[in-house]
Amino acid sequence: MKPISAILQEIRPEYDFAASQDYISDGMLDSFDMMTLVAALERHYSVSIPGTAIAPENFRNAQAIQEMLNHCGVHP
Amino acid sequence: MLPVQTTQQVFEGMLRAKSGPDFCTNFYPVRQKLEAWVAHNALAFQQGGETTFFFRRDRNFWHLFYCAPSIQALQRDLCTLEELQTERVVADVLGTPEALEAWLPMLESAGLRRYKRLARMGRPAREIAAAVADGVALATRHDAGAIVALLEKAFDPFAKQLPSLEEIEAAAGGSEILLLKRGGALAGLLFFETRGVTSTLRFWAVAQEFRGSCVGSALIRHYLAGQRGVQRFVLWADGDDRVLIEKYRHYHYAEDGVVDYVLANDLITG
Repeated sequence: MKPISAILQEIRPEYDFAASQDYISDGMLDSFDMMTLVAALERHYSVSIPGTAIAPENFRNAQAIQEMLNHCGVHP
Repeated sequence: MLPVQTTQQVFEGMLRAKSGPDFCTNFYPVRQKLEAWVAHNALAFQQGGETTFFFRRDRNFWHLFYCAPSIQALQRDLCTLEELQTERVVADVLGTPEALEAWLPMLESAGLRRYKRLARMGRPAREIAAAVADGVALATRHDAGAIVALLEKAFDPFAKQLPSLEEIEAAAGGSEILLLKRGGALAGLLFFETRGVTSTLRFWAVAQEFRGSCVGSALIRHYLAGQRGVQRFVLWADGDDRVLIEKYRHYHYAEDGVVDYVLANDLITG
């Protein structure tokens, strides 16, 4: 299974996501990137991410994304 | 529609729609901007069936935003939205052209027409040299009036979301507007927003009487050369203006496949 970091890198290859703890504040992901990421996560992990989970705080770093996925039933 | 009095009202409205199976929205408010709109009484809302609609006042028209639990609910609720018959309204819908082709007929059936297609263009960080002594300076709050006047002359307010006087004053205070003056007159400006590693060029304009005199190139070179630590530059350009697109390509921007369809109702399109 592809790690979250690899999916992020596919969406925005120009950024070093490992160097950031807050992708939103650091300008690495905008709202449209978030929707692209949701679609990629859903496709890759075969999961449906509910609308209530699509909030900036769930996308601020890899740990937050993983926790959101855990809530959706995806476990590493 | 009713005025929005607290940001909490906005989040509650969004949350109502988010509980649906197929949440859809064109509303991605940044908290700081949202607070400013509420403080200036520029935001209103309307609960239309299952969809929460937000309206942001801009000069003499409204920007329409929706938060709907599903596409079907949005279509149904848009068709009964009274404001589309009585107010001048524009709405922005973002996505890839392929994804939006499924959406646009639905929005058009509710009375919104395609008004403008904006293309997102991106540029990786890349060395560029500013001209020596190019005369470019940062705007101050005192320049805000002249900046508004140039922006309103250079851009279509329905297609580009023009900043208010207060936003311009705040951006000038935050060193995010570059100016070039000639003989005391505002010859050109470049308005940008840098957040972390991304910088967005919001407006780049040269006054009619100063076109062809390298004002624009001095501004953009100064801007690109001055954004230390930025890894990605983005902007939204009129996708049908090939001359403009070519101009941005000259500075190594390229279309990245994301578009923003600006839709307008009949009270605007006539």
